[in-house]
Amino acid sequence: MKEEVRHFESELAIIGSGIAGFAASIFALKRGIKTAQIGNTGAVAYTTGYLDLLGKIGGSTEIITDPWKGLEQLQKNQPDHPLSRIPIDDIRAGFDQFTDFLNQAGIGYSAPLDHNLTALTPVGTLKPTLCVPATMEPGIRALSDKTPCIIIDFKGLKGFSGRQVVANLKENWPGLTTKRIHFPEMEKGEVYPEVMARALEVPATREKLAKLLKNGAEDALIIGLPAVLGMHNPDLVRADLEKLTGLKIFEIPTMPPSVPGIRLREMFEQVFPHEGLTLIPQQKVETLSFDDKGATLYLKDNYGPITIHAKSVLLATGRFLSGGLEAHITGITETLLDLPVTQPKNRTDWYQDKYTDSRGHALHKAGIEVDELFRPLGQNGKPYNKRLFAAGIILAHQDWIRARSGAGIAIATAYKAVETIHNYISEHSSAKE
Amino acid sequence: MSKPTIPTINFKEKAMELLPHGASFEACLTCGLCSSGCPASGLENMDPRKFIRMAMLDMNEELSTTPWVWCCTQCKRCQHVCPMSIDISQLVYIARGNWPQELKPTGIVRSCQGIQATDSTSAMGLPPEDFVFVVQDVLEEVRDTQPDFEKLQAPMDKKGAFFFVNQNSREPMSEPDEMVPLWKIFDVVGADWTYSSKGWAAENFCMFTGDDDAWYSVVKKRVDAVNDLGCQVWLNTECGHSYYTMWNALSRFGIESNFKLESLITYYAKWIREGKLPINSDWNVNNIKFTVQDPCMIVRKAYGESIAEDMRFVTRTLVGKENFIDMQPNRSANYCCGGGGGFLQAGMTEQRRAYGKRKFDQIATTGAAYVLTPCHNCHSQMEDIGHHYGGDYGVVHFWTLICLSLGILGENERTYLGPDLLALIA
Repeated sequence: MKEEVRHFESELAIIGSGIAGFAASIFALKRGIKTAQIGNTGAVAYTTGYLDLLGKIGGSTEIITDPWKGLEQLQKNQPDHPLSRIPIDDIRAGFDQFTDFLNQAGIGYSAPLDHNLTALTPVGTLKPTLCVPATMEPGIRALSDKTPCIIIDFKGLKGFSGRQVVANLKENWPGLTTKRIHFPEMEKGEVYPEVMARALEVPATREKLAKLLKNGAEDALIIGLPAVLGMHNPDLVRADLEKLTGLKIFEIPTMPPSVPGIRLREMFEQVFPHEGLTLIPQQKVETLSFDDKGATLYLKDNYGPITIHAKSVLLATGRFLSGGLEAHITGITETLLDLPVTQPKNRTDWYQDKYTDSRGHALHKAGIEVDELFRPLGQNGKPYNKRLFAAGIILAHQDWIRARSGAGIAIATAYKAVETIHNYISEHSSAKE
Repeated sequence: MSKPTIPTINFKEKAMELLPHGASFEACLTCGLCSSGCPASGLENMDPRKFIRMAMLDMNEELSTTPWVWCCTQCKRCQHVCPMSIDISQLVYIARGNWPQELKPTGIVRSCQGIQATDSTSAMGLPPEDFVFVVQDVLEEVRDTQPDFEKLQAPMDKKGAFFFVNQNSREPMSEPDEMVPLWKIFDVVGADWTYSSKGWAAENFCMFTGDDDAWYSVVKKRVDAVNDLGCQVWLNTECGHSYYTMWNALSRFGIESNFKLESLITYYAKWIREGKLPINSDWNVNNIKFTVQDPCMIVRKAYGESIAEDMRFVTRTLVGKENFIDMQPNRSANYCCGGGGGFLQAGMTEQRRAYGKRKFDQIATTGAAYVLTPCHNCHSQMEDIGHHYGGDYGVVHFWTLICLSLGILGENERTYLGPDLLALIA
């Protein structure tokens, strides 16, 4: 039997299925660009669900309260930083469009404000972020108001401990307590947030859990739970549990594999094909080549080979975890086109002596270089190809974890890159190609 | 004679051989997406992450003997959600094959033996002459009792027919009237098709025993049967794993075939689009709700999104757009129901039902009155967990509902209809 090659034509092929890739698809759909998105399951399932813009700058330990002002400071201190190269109004527009899309797709998110929110981490420490899932919003208010609150966790759940959360917050939040209960019908063995979340999509499970929560809540006015409130209708699940218990309820992110990221991924996988986007998730692009007429991507899925022909390509393949960059004894390489990677000269320069050094590690600023149109630069310092663009954390000169700016870089650079791609396609669609 | 024991395999070595290009266990974060997304997690105190980590720790004896390999349905969802694309199901296949025949679940072993016993390749052991007789007998009855179908055809061993049509043994063996709706659909669209007295059966439990030689021999017999009749398309009817065992085996064993493998679902969609199958949802005046179950074997493990979309197109046309409610998650991310991998035949009822709880929850959340699925194992498992967990949904074949929509569903062909559907055609 002969293998048939399936072929797709598009104006834009987005490689990568992290926040940058998904954001780029949203922006491309909004601009009416015929788009295909490809990329195997990346780090998106590991996200807390928070959308950070900018929480810290450089080696400073100071928390940024106004990220928009922070961006102005960043432009002065780190002009090479990807966020310094994008007009602040564009970053704002990117966040607005991204969160609007999530809200319309059925996952409630808070709108970007003029200041950072102070949000809870899985271990009960605090971090600055810009937008949070609606299911987590009441926790932010409860924390700031010091409302009497009980964190309820579940037997058999690894990676989330109410006791740990309380231990870290008790000093500043005296009315905070914790309790551990069994999740309904999961009394034995290890339980996973994903499994609990899916079970809570069933009304009968919500009723059972609501009884247990009500009994366990004691004098608290608000209950904090690990993020398990449903997978596809989180806002409905939370509202229903609040109705059944008569208490306020919020979610706190858990350690990976965590529900907020799976929620986003499954939502995108549902919504994008409906919007006319060709989505090939779970598969890595094997080769990418360019000729006079466009770019050709080659990949394989379980069924067989696929080729995609595109007028333009956005590289949003991430860093090490998602496979956009690879670390070797001799240095760091870019995996798809072998683009030059800006990196420390020697391997010995990758890390500071102390892991917790507030200045961060040089390795974490490695990445590819782009020009003002977000086109990756080749060996000669010129754009690798006029059709190739890049976005997300594969870009050099940023340490997104330390700066609490992961989603910010992903969304903002995707917004800017799609804008320049749109211009490129528009300019060349009238000309003969 | 001494009691048979299970030899020990070096799983780490096997796992390394199976790694896809560019992947590495060093990059496995042990994040647990595999286990978190697997309905078999926790059964027999095992889960996919544990399996891989134990392999890396050379805990070969434990892995060689764990009965969990018979609870894993090899649905590949773990690989689907793994950032490193690590395929645990292949290790499970190797582990299954390593069990001595005497210790493997007898239900699966016997089904494989049944398949090898006759030229029918039928797990239920129905020989060719009996299949020919049943088809002819049912056909004559339909011709006699259903005036609209007095010229209905069910060709047998017709050389040069376009479609070679397979059939799950359950139909001719246990519920022969269930074949009739399919024949009627072929009649409506004017398909040029044939059954074959040889290699007609769909099911292939030999793959589930982990026995390469047996798997190969079954597929070879079927391929020879199609080649002998000179058919252009081997049309897989409403049975999930039959497609996968055939399709995967052709490349796995390098078997020569002169025909294409296609799924009936693809053709339902094609015939509707071409106007040959004039179904609609006008009959569904009470807005009865339906969901669909994506069989892992044809969706995630084979065709992917294209067949999932065809299945939804057929369903929406058939029941009305507003009456179709998708399960979550769905398509390639769908959960195995727990009927796959030979689990239904393995005699591990308690584990199988625990596995199926997630499917039951998925169905319950939709609130649908019926689940449509083109897979026999899915069909049986979803019926069983429905009864077990107190669900009030039914499970129906596509062919039943298609004929209902066309107003040609005979009285003996309504086994899977509940009172709500029966009331509409009374």
